[in-house]
Parts: sequence; structure tokens; C-alpha cells
Amino acid sequence: MSALEIKHLFGLRGVSKHDIRLILDHAKQFREILERPVKKVPSLRGMTVVNLFFENSTRTRTSFELAEKRLSADTVNFTSSNSSVKKGETLVDTLRNIEAMKIDIVVVRHKGTGVPKFLADNSNAIIVNAGDGAHEHPTQALLDMLTVEEKLGTLEGKNVTIIGDIRHSRVARSNLWGMSTMGAHVTLCGPSTLVPRNTDLMNHVMWEPDVKKAVENADAIIALRLQKERMDDALLPSMREYRNTFGITQELLDCAKDKVIIMHPGPINRGVELDSDIADGEHSVILDQVTNGVAVRMAVLFLLAGGRNNENA
Amino acid sequence: MKMRKPCKGRVSNVVLKNAKFWNGTSFEHRREVCLNACKNVETTEFDCKGALVMPALFGLGLDFMEPLRDDVYTFFDGFAAMHKGGFYGGLYESAANPIDDADKFTAMVNRFKSEEFGESEFDIKFLGAYSKGFGTDSLAEMVELAEAGVAGFGDGNGVIPHSRFIRLAMEYGKMTGKRFFFQPMDKTLRHSGCVHEGAYSDMLGMKGIPRIAETIAAYTILEMARFLQVPVHFKQVTCGETLELVRNARKNNIDVTCDVGLYHLLLDDSCLETLDSAYHILPPIRSAADREALWQGVADGTVDAISMNHTPVLRQDTVVNFEDSVPGALSLEVALPAIWNKLVKRVGESRAIELLSTAPARLVGSVPATDNVVVFAPDRPHVVVEGDFAGHVCNSPLVGKTLPSSILATYINSVWTEL
Repeated sequence: MSALEIKHLFGLRGVSKHDIRLILDHAKQFREILERPVKKVPSLRGMTVVNLFFENSTRTRTSFELAEKRLSADTVNFTSSNSSVKKGETLVDTLRNIEAMKIDIVVVRHKGTGVPKFLADNSNAIIVNAGDGAHEHPTQALLDMLTVEEKLGTLEGKNVTIIGDIRHSRVARSNLWGMSTMGAHVTLCGPSTLVPRNTDLMNHVMWEPDVKKAVENADAIIALRLQKERMDDALLPSMREYRNTFGITQELLDCAKDKVIIMHPGPINRGVELDSDIADGEHSVILDQVTNGVAVRMAVLFLLAGGRNNENA
Repeated sequence: MKMRKPCKGRVSNVVLKNAKFWNGTSFEHRREVCLNACKNVETTEFDCKGALVMPALFGLGLDFMEPLRDDVYTFFDGFAAMHKGGFYGGLYESAANPIDDADKFTAMVNRFKSEEFGESEFDIKFLGAYSKGFGTDSLAEMVELAEAGVAGFGDGNGVIPHSRFIRLAMEYGKMTGKRFFFQPMDKTLRHSGCVHEGAYSDMLGMKGIPRIAETIAAYTILEMARFLQVPVHFKQVTCGETLELVRNARKNNIDVTCDVGLYHLLLDDSCLETLDSAYHILPPIRSAADREALWQGVADGTVDAISMNHTPVLRQDTVVNFEDSVPGALSLEVALPAIWNKLVKRVGESRAIELLSTAPARLVGSVPATDNVVVFAPDRPHVVVEGDFAGHVCNSPLVGKTLPSSILATYINSVWTEL
């Protein structure tokens, strides 16, 4: 088995095509395992994974936890709401204390850009980024890529359009790096207050302000979740106007290809970024994304752990 | 943790041999020069081996954190840093310790000249605060502060409060004839930004501070200065647009001076890619194009001085992720070796010395003593280590980096310090 070039997963910017391919291929194998009656493999038996979540999360943490359990790892959940962080403990002290308990892998989510790298610089554990600020959310992008490959056969040459709050989206950033590396053509579209102001370092993707033009050649559309805080911060006038301008509606979908797939990282604001009939309709692959999330996270953990016991996978 | 180290300097007469001495216009080789401190002290001979001997420096933007944050840094540490870096004086303004009445000023002066700190003879000038506690509720007693001896009035590097308060502060402070020192930054446009708003911040998803946060504040202040006829100074200008405002203001006879920070000339925002909190500096390090505009401002005379913005930060406040770290960097110990060669290449030796020594001193009325010198090897590389810094903090983006030059020794206020 080939090994990953990366030692940690901080993000997808700079991750090679080889590594992404390896993760996706393994994820496909794990996806098959998830369909079996017995969904568990002993790949990470004896290893301990800590899910270090400083931000609220239900689905990502659950998905990671399930992936860890499917790989037979011992898992510990650590959330800031019930931790010593509330008592003023520093990030590095928290990590060192956890590390002293002989853990092997840390899955971390934090509001600050670069926290996973910071933790890697200050510990011996393998670090997996489960979302750092508006920087990256690599496993979400990997599961999006797996879903595109599963539904469309390949990423190479496919047109993927991401619509919504690009500026504050770690999902969008990871997707634009990862999908571009794998040969997809990424188009970004959103209100002018919610797209990055300086795109010099992201000039490998297309920027399309007109949502109809953005979707017309798309093979896959990713609608991003719109945070209510954006209205409070005067970045948008109303959910209503957003829905009417950038929401995925049947009218908008009529401008797209017949076999376009609709994705969303969840949780969905129904009737805002995505109409209910679209979210539940024939184009939607949102629940496949959720299933693929577990498979991708199994692959990431398995490969970063060194592929130990890979014959059992 | 790095331990506090005593300053190794000692009072001495000095004989410097085989050095190139600054004669006011150029460096000239002299076999031997005696710098006399006083009678009854030993004499130190030092072979400079062809090194430069230049006037000691004057640092704008010193914050030694006393008295309220002496857990972080002290005058003792700051003076050690000045000896190491070759500074005979500086302009002191502590964000944590606003000098907003004459009693505080007197207490501060008495403290730094106290026996505890060796009855310091450093030429430290102080900025008074123009408001109580750097707030926007009450004006500081600026007339009494001016009479007590502050060099000017400053904002504690805080964001610009509302315009009416600035107007009233400048209008009242005009009676003193003192200069107002501002770090132009519009509070609402800064919002929660912590880095330059540009390609790197957008790529990394970090909250940016746009250039217009600086230029709009600068424009407001310049309009106040024009309207009220009050001299102003901009601290740590970060972009060419602000320098253009300064140029235009001067054409309209507005009395405005400005400085740029050491690190703003050395770095650009590509350093953000490392996500290293050592680069967390405010005002933010901007793009390569901005840095080049600053260098042009240095070369064409728009920039009056290079400031140090010497800001100690505890290790535990830097050993966190970038956005949660406390901004600031030490600079006194490394400034000259880091900037000298670049500066000379751009503006020549004479202007380089002016920007680091005479010009910042002139801004606040300091007159340098001729015997204060730095022995400096411009071609001897030096790897910066934590131990290079005085005190128990070492927050600098230059730690671990190789500087092209080295300070060999300094002679400040009759204290000889070999490094």
C-alpha cells in the first residue's frame, strides 16, 4: 500500500493529487464496509483518538466518532463547554494534558485559523482538522469529492459550482483547493459582501457573480449554509432577498444541466440556500454526503495512522 | 522559560581601535579613538577589526510596560535592551499605563531615573495621553502635562475614537504647542480584523484590516490638523496611500510627520502563511506592494523616521494560535542588524543614520551625546536566539532567523557593553 505524504491533515491546500487519490480510494473501500452487516474493522485497535471540539458540532463530531468506532479505536470526546478551557486553561496546556494520557490522534475543531497546525507544532500526536475558523474543513471537502466521483464517475473535467457565503466558509476553501487539484473546474458565486475581496491567490478558480451563469454548466452545485449572524452584521439585508437571489430553487435549477447533483454540507436552512423540494428531490445527494463522511474520515484516520492492520480493511 | 539576565555593561572609558568612525557625512578609518567617561574608572580597549562606529540610536515607540504590567517587562529590561541594541534614548508610550496627569508623569520619570534602575541617564521622552485612560470620556490635563515636560500627546496606539472627541482634544491641546501622535486606525473599519486584508487573509480565511481603516482615520486627523492648525505625527504608517495623504497635506502646509515600523519594512503579509503568532503585529504587516511603497516613502523623505514599536508580550500570550495571540514584537535588540544593510542600499549611510538616530530624536527634541556609539559589523551574520533579548520575553519574528549584520558592542551613557 502506498503511504500518505502528509503526516497530519491541516487542509487541502498543498496536498498532492497522490494523497487525495489515496484517501478517496480508501474511502471507497470503507464505503463498502459500511454497507456490510458488520461495519467494524480492527484497523485502529489499541489506538486512542480524542475529538477536541472547541466549537459546537453535532454532525461532524458524530461522523468522526462513528468513523473512529468503526475502525475500533478508543475514542474520547472533549468539548469546550465541559472542559478546563472554561477555567482559563490555554490551548497548549489542554493539548499537553490530553497528550499525557497517551493519545495517538487528535481531531480538532476550533474557531481560530491554524489551530491544527499549532497543535501539531506543539505535540507528537497526529492532528486532523475538523474545521478551523474560516480556513479549512478538509474532510468535508473530501467527502464532497467522494460524492462527486461516486455520482459522476470522476472529478477530472467536471464543473463544480459553490454558491453562498464563500468569504466565511472553510468548506468552500477546502473544496476549491481539493477539487482543483483533482482536475475539476471550480466556480464560486455569492453576494459581493460574502465573497473574498482579494482573490489573487485563488485565481485558479472562476468567480461568477451571476448565479444563473454560475449554474448553467455545472455538473455539481454545492450550496453553502447561510449563517443568521451575517444579517446581524449587515452583510445581507434579509434571508428573503438572499433566497430570491442566490437560493437554489426549481427556477434556478431549470437553468442547469439535467443531471446536475445538488450538495450541501448541512445543516440546511430550508427555504434559504436550498428549497425543500430541491433538498429532498432527485438531484439531491445530501444524504449520500453524510454516509460518505464516515467513510472519508475512516480513510483519513486509517491512512494517517500509518495503515496499520491494513489487511483488515 | 528564558531567565532574566543582568545587563553585562559596565561604566568604563573606552579606546576603540581600528574602526571606521562616522564623521557626520561618511565613515572614515581611524586607528584609535578614546571615549572618556570619567575619572577613576577602568579603561577598556577594543579592537573593532574594521567595524563601523556610528552614533547611537533613538527609538520611537517604546513600551516597557511599567508600572501596571511589570510582570511582563520592566524599565530594567528595557534599558538592557537599549544597551544591547545601541539606543541612547527613545519616545516612551505605554498602552497599559496612560500618563494622563502630571503626577503620573512625575512618578514615571522618578521611577525610571530611580536608583533601582541605576539612575538611568537614557534620554527617554514621554508621550502624555490626550484623554483620561486613553478613553473618550474626559480630556487629560494636557496643559499641566506639557508644563511637566511631556514630549507630545498620544493615543496609546488605540483605535481612533469618535471625531468630535479628537477635535476637542486637539483644540484644547493646541494651547500647549505640542505635537499629537496618532496611530491612524478607524475602529469600525478595523472591526475584528487582526491581519492585513489582502490575498493572504482571504486565502487563509482570517479577518482582515483594510487599508482604508488607516487612510480614512489619517484623512480625518489631517483635516483636524488643517482646521485647528495643530501639528500631528502618524505612528507606524503601513501603506502607500497614507504616505500620499501625508505628501498632499504637506503641500497644503499642514504640519505632519510620520514614521514607519521596523517590521513593516522587513516583512510582508506572505508571512501569514506560516500561521506563526510571532508575526501578529499591529498595525498589521501589509502586502509586498505596500512594503515597497513604504520604502519609497523612506527614500523620498516622506517618512521622517523608522520606529521600533518595541512591544513585549508574555510567552503564554504568544504560544497560542495566531488570532488568539497578543500582538506585538520586540525590536530594540535586533533593529540595527536587521535593517542597516537594506537601508543603506536604499538611501545611503547618511540618511540611514538620520532615520534611525537624529530624525526620530529631532521629532521629540532630543539632542544626542556624541560619545554614545554603536560598534557594528555590517557583514557579520548573526543568528537571532531567544537569549539575545533582554528580560524574560522574546517575542520577535526574527528569532531563529539569520541577520546579515551584528552589533559588536555599544557605548551608551559611559556604559560599555560587549555582545
